Amino acid sequence: MQGDSVVVTANRSERKLSNVTVPVSIINAKQIQEMGAIRLTDVLKEQPGLTLTSGFGAGVQLQGLNPDYTIILINGEPLVGRTAGVLDLNRIALGNIKKIEIVKGPSSSLYGSEAMAGVINIITDAVNAIPLQASLRYGTYQTIDAGVNHSIVNKSIFYQGYYNYYSTDGFSIRPNSTSRTTTPITRFTINQQLKYNVSDNTNIAISFRATDEKVKNEISVVNGGATITSFGYEHNTDQNFNVSLNHRFSNKLKTSFRGYRTEYNGRQDLLTVSGLPYYDLLNHLFQRVENQTDWNINKQTNLIFGGGTVLEGVKSNRYDSEQVRKTNSTGYGFAQLEMNPSKKLIVVGGIRFDKNETFASAFSPKISASYKLNDYNKLKFSIGQGFKAPDFRQIYLDFTNAAAGGYSVFGSAQAQKVIAQLMTAGQVGTLYDTYYQLNDLKPEYSNGMHLTWDYEPNNKTFVSFQLFRNDINNLIQVQQVAAYVTGAQVFSYLNVGRAFTQGVEIESKYKLTQNIMFSGGYQFLLTGDKDQIEQIKAGKVYTKDANGYSRLLTMNDYVGLPNNSKHRVQFKCNYNSQSGLFANIRFIYRSRWAVNNTNGNEVFDNGDEFAKGYLSVNSAIGKEYKNGFSIQLGSDNMGNYIDAVNLPNLPGRTYYAIIKYQLINKNK
Amino acid sequence: MKKSIQNLAMCLICSVSMWACTKSSTTTVMPVTAVRVNDIPADTVVRLSPQGAPITNGKYTFYSIEKNAIVPNTDSATTKWDIAFMSTRIITNSGTSGIGQGGAFVYVGLFDALTTIPADSVFRTDNAPASFAIPMGSGKGWYNYDGLTNLVTPLAGRVLVIRTASGKYAKIEIISYYKGGVTLPVTASDMDKLTKQRYYTFRVAYQPNGTKKF
Repeated sequence: MQGDSVVVTANRSERKLSNVTVPVSIINAKQIQEMGAIRLTDVLKEQPGLTLTSGFGAGVQLQGLNPDYTIILINGEPLVGRTAGVLDLNRIALGNIKKIEIVKGPSSSLYGSEAMAGVINIITDAVNAIPLQASLRYGTYQTIDAGVNHSIVNKSIFYQGYYNYYSTDGFSIRPNSTSRTTTPITRFTINQQLKYNVSDNTNIAISFRATDEKVKNEISVVNGGATITSFGYEHNTDQNFNVSLNHRFSNKLKTSFRGYRTEYNGRQDLLTVSGLPYYDLLNHLFQRVENQTDWNINKQTNLIFGGGTVLEGVKSNRYDSEQVRKTNSTGYGFAQLEMNPSKKLIVVGGIRFDKNETFASAFSPKISASYKLNDYNKLKFSIGQGFKAPDFRQIYLDFTNAAAGGYSVFGSAQAQKVIAQLMTAGQVGTLYDTYYQLNDLKPEYSNGMHLTWDYEPNNKTFVSFQLFRNDINNLIQVQQVAAYVTGAQVFSYLNVGRAFTQGVEIESKYKLTQNIMFSGGYQFLLTGDKDQIEQIKAGKVYTKDANGYSRLLTMNDYVGLPNNSKHRVQFKCNYNSQSGLFANIRFIYRSRWAVNNTNGNEVFDNGDEFAKGYLSVNSAIGKEYKNGFSIQLGSDNMGNYIDAVNLPNLPGRTYYAIIKYQLINKNK
Repeated sequence: MKKSIQNLAMCLICSVSMWACTKSSTTTVMPVTAVRVNDIPADTVVRLSPQGAPITNGKYTFYSIEKNAIVPNTDSATTKWDIAFMSTRIITNSGTSGIGQGGAFVYVGLFDALTTIPADSVFRTDNAPASFAIPMGSGKGWYNYDGLTNLVTPLAGRVLVIRTASGKYAKIEIISYYKGGVTLPVTASDMDKLTKQRYYTFRVAYQPNGTKKF
């Protein structure tokens, strides 16, 4: 039922899905196409356990953990250019993607920083690529997506080229508003991949990918009651380049050297109505060299080990100097041992050590195991530690908002230096206790545990039950550390928070007939801030009742972390005939989530403001012809659900049509 | 005799009404009742500039707790007022603000639970611009200001313990900063957020006998 697909992300090496010991989901190209999906966000929003977030681009929340804590990889190499911790997943076009692998649970033992909640790896393998494919999609709001994908494959060369153009007029779902909730965007994506087999045992691979995004922007800022609207362009570019040399010494031993360079540049050049310029720049450069060796010691034992070095840097106008790149270098080593002492049992243990130049080191262990009880039942257990290194902004930010009352935010490295200077200048009024706690930031870390039971009673049914728990420590939070003489606040970053997420996930598939398949997913999620819970239990947190009078807050009122829904449900019905006709309908439900603290305490409780739970229904129908042409019609958000404030990325009902041509590979 | 019956009746009515109000135990009778004061303007926005900036008169609204009434600005140099409001600022008739014997501090706890002002409490006085009896600024005194939503929300579990201009005691819980006594929803228009702000609704209990018991 599950098939035995190959997974590369779970073990950093190709493994059969049935031999993987951690929770993994695979989304293949066919599923992506049938959804009519064009950007990565389109796919992820329909996956169990994942929730899209808005604000600073579209991010993804994995099992209750914010977008900051999931690493996004393309062919194993990380994407950079996060704003406030969020990597905008709309940057990623899907036309040449072979599959997407999602690993849930801390994976820092293999991938280092950011792989705290999990890993999303997008794979665009040139092997088995289609010789020529062209597609055109047109939809509501003048949304155009055109892509061409071509490949040349022979005995020693695999080449794949991909070109994508996307544009949308954007939309406004806020009545009587001149500003669009989603602004007009044009994006180009180009991807070139070449793999050359030097010999039977040696190959060289080169890959280049670039995206160029222009957003026509309109920002309204209320300042002292005056609304200032700025127009202008936001221009974001992203380039990734990697080279790898892979050599197989024998059937048992292979090694690969990889070099990777990626640069993200985000620039906003706006002009306010009153003529004042608004400017923002973020440039993130990430370079890495890495070696990995896979050694199959014997039938029962596999060893993977490697190491590398990263040099990265960020330039921003929000740091003390825009010209000077703030840098950090990291050296790391990792090892993973896989053992299958019996046919039923697989045990995998891994460790990784990351030594950083600008902040404390991180040590990430993980152990996982799977045990096959019988042909129908399998148990998987994993426990590991993940971490996220402090952001550059958390270390180097040097930002004073002259407009909004003159408050300042300083990164941890800047804070002490700058505040000392300000004190000498007589500008600081009060130092808070938190000022004396300022220190070199430590990575945030999380201990994650996953217990999975896979049940496959026959070849028509598959059910997977999962329990998960993540305990997060050293959370980096913004705290007031001082006040100016004027009373304006001075903030910096401290490792202060502790939180948890835990829950249940169920995924199931049922094949009714040869042509009809149902699949469903459910996630129950509980989250909480541990310090807040202690305060509530100690009777130190208050809330307001309907009259506006204070009362003590109880644990029954507490709802945990904001932006988390307790219930998420996905249901999909898929029809696929031999004649090439396909149709599907997908239901995605998310229960209410807290968005704003409105009742005068710092915790989220039932008295606060929530976004309403909602259902979105998406559907598509299409036909693939034998001559390589295919057509597809679809509609997303058919119920026309709109919440302009909390779901700015969700337009009302949209329609689209896709026409596609594939040159069928006759060799297959 | 007749008078004492009257007194007894008054007492009964008082205690019954108190019991009805507070639903607390009937063994102690609270000698003061809390009153709810609605929509005291505090330098409200009179108009918007052509650029859309709010324009106000920049004047305090003076208020007598004893009389439960607004005091004219011409009486600002007297002891007729106890506290005064201007936007999120609340001053007391003390120190640099007035000639009275006023003062205040912010008590963390529940309004009803504060039955006696603790003996070791320190009443602060206004010392402009460095400090005020009721600290100014978001999260410091009675309110929180959210820069994203532009809303002012009274902090839960804060009681303003006031010493009046004549040296008596009162306690105040701020209920809302917006006209109508309810904080505006996040989704309210920018115009509403500007023009409906700066209206105080609060409940106040005043002890006229000079003791620190409520």
